[in-house]
Amino acid sequence: MSAADQLKRILTVIPRLADGEEHPVEEVARLAGIDRLRLVADLTSVSERYDTPGGWVDGVAITVDPRSVSVRTSHFLRPMRLTMAELCALELGLGLLRRERHESELPAIERASERLRKAITELPQNDRHEGLRVAELAHAGDPAHLATLSRARRAKRKVRLRYRSGSAKASSDRVICPHALVHSAGSWYVVAYCETGEGMRIFRLDRVEAATQLAEEFTPSADADVARLVAERPFVGEPGRTMTVRYSPRIARWIREREGGELDADGSLVREYPLGDMGWGVRHVLQYGPDAEVLEPTELRKEIVRRLERMAV
Amino acid sequence: MTTSRTTQKVQRWIDLLTTLLSHNFPLTFLDLARGVPQYLADGSVDRGEPSPTLKRMFERDKLELRSMGVPIETIGEEGEEDTSYRLRPGDFYLPYLAVASQRGTLKPKKVDRHGYRSLAELTFDADELVAVAEGAARARQLGDPVLRADVDAAVRKLAVDLPLGAASAGDATYVRQPRSSGDPATFEALSDALFRQKRVTFDYRSMGRDETARRAAEPYGLFFINGHWYLVGHDTERDALRNFRVSRMGAVKVNAAREGTPDYSIPEGFSLREHARSRNAWELGDDQPLEAIVEVRGTSGAARAAAELGEPVEGNPDRRCYEVRRRDVFARWLLSFAGELVPVAPPALVEEFRAQVAATRARYVSGARA
Repeated sequence: MSAADQLKRILTVIPRLADGEEHPVEEVARLAGIDRLRLVADLTSVSERYDTPGGWVDGVAITVDPRSVSVRTSHFLRPMRLTMAELCALELGLGLLRRERHESELPAIERASERLRKAITELPQNDRHEGLRVAELAHAGDPAHLATLSRARRAKRKVRLRYRSGSAKASSDRVICPHALVHSAGSWYVVAYCETGEGMRIFRLDRVEAATQLAEEFTPSADADVARLVAERPFVGEPGRTMTVRYSPRIARWIREREGGELDADGSLVREYPLGDMGWGVRHVLQYGPDAEVLEPTELRKEIVRRLERMAV
Repeated sequence: MTTSRTTQKVQRWIDLLTTLLSHNFPLTFLDLARGVPQYLADGSVDRGEPSPTLKRMFERDKLELRSMGVPIETIGEEGEEDTSYRLRPGDFYLPYLAVASQRGTLKPKKVDRHGYRSLAELTFDADELVAVAEGAARARQLGDPVLRADVDAAVRKLAVDLPLGAASAGDATYVRQPRSSGDPATFEALSDALFRQKRVTFDYRSMGRDETARRAAEPYGLFFINGHWYLVGHDTERDALRNFRVSRMGAVKVNAAREGTPDYSIPEGFSLREHARSRNAWELGDDQPLEAIVEVRGTSGAARAAAELGEPVEGNPDRRCYEVRRRDVFARWLLSFAGELVPVAPPALVEEFRAQVAATRARYVSGARA
């Protein structure tokens, strides 16, 4: 733990404490985002001054007991301004929002950024913090559809979606209630209740052909359900049946890094996936060419061979 | 009982800050030192001749506080006898943050004491507040612990006045993290090296050769794309620009020599944003780009989305043109569409594609293990 980290934490908690009253340690620790023991250690380090000359009047007087803390001072009654590094971190997040949001929402993002810039400490080295990090979440799909879905989700409005699933030959219209947006491995997905399919579904943004926000509102399912779906369900195919794939030693290490698992003695890797969509299974395996082979189910193997024979003509 | 060095430093910094903030005029080091007990310990201040050790301690304190963002102002030349220092409350303390809504403006309680009355006031409207809260949440989700710590520190300051927790309550957007996102110590070392422009050496696991080797680079930036953080920098051994996936780096050492001096400068024309722009794997590489013409024979959602990545071919609505640097990778990508996307030119690409089809078919027909 560095002195700098400790000072930053102390400067953050004092404005919440310095009214001369006793404050419960647990509550202050929660607000400061640190654990109770660390809070007590931080404050004790300021209050216990064994090396200070007798008669010295502290600028900051702190009383700490196991349950409560109190501070008397005329200093640090406001938090310190934002540092440039903190501003850059927030701006990186605002930059990601700009890519997700409808153009009508962009002015508020710009204004927020401008206001935050007025809350920083001005130092000559500030310029050196800028541009050290960039992030991009969107990769494929129409940003306008993402913006519509994002706005509808927050407004709790239904969306008419024209969608063509990975294996479908034609697109179809459906009405969905967007519950969450998820970015995973370079793609955006919307987790939604599909009124047409009467169940929770995951739609991939780059397969959305049109998205229109409707006037009709919806009541979201319990957040826990969506969180579970987002956390547990792999963003590939539908659950139910499985397919087993062996990856050659040439590419197995990359697959293991991404998905886990143990290499076989010959360096190959066998993984099992949920499979509800044969088209997805075919595409998933063929992207690796001869370095991946479906072991099961047999009908998927046959389908791959059939497609390869047609391609060989 | 003695006090640890870290605690001593924190106490000294607090004394230094309170002394500076207590005065609305600049202070020389001698004046300042009288407010900081640790600066008085060796008696040199009382003698009117601060010792070199004490001066070095002060220089170090000033440097470290500034690196934390504390705007200590120097009046005069650094290190001279009559140089003075100032920290204005308005430059140090966060402005008062108010929230405007249709029902009026919610203002924070102001501190009725000297030094606080003149602080500026910034008013956020409800939409701006939501943007700040959700932007913070999005940055936190990227898996970089240094970035997250900066976001958390900012939010804790802002939350003294602003109801940021409530503002972000409606954000149901998730960024799924990869299985391995990198060691916090790696991010910390790289962030430090980037800011100070210092060379780094590190262990790097090469997936192609399945071996770990010591590498050296001059870091230009960190970028997050497709769920992973990468360091881009000048690989000093290969004399080339290289990307390193942070999760494959370890034992990062930042050059400790000439601490306060940058080791290199980032080339004028380098743009991290442009470098980090999303690209498909077949667009990356050092080969000369070739124009690949692909016929779109299928109408599935996957095929249509893939077709959108190419450019139209005049006079032939079923064909798309792609700029390809890695022919083999592009051929495999086309293979994944199982006949819905088929290359028609150039001949070398067509041959590559056919060879991939034949080799993959042989895997199933001959029964040889993948």
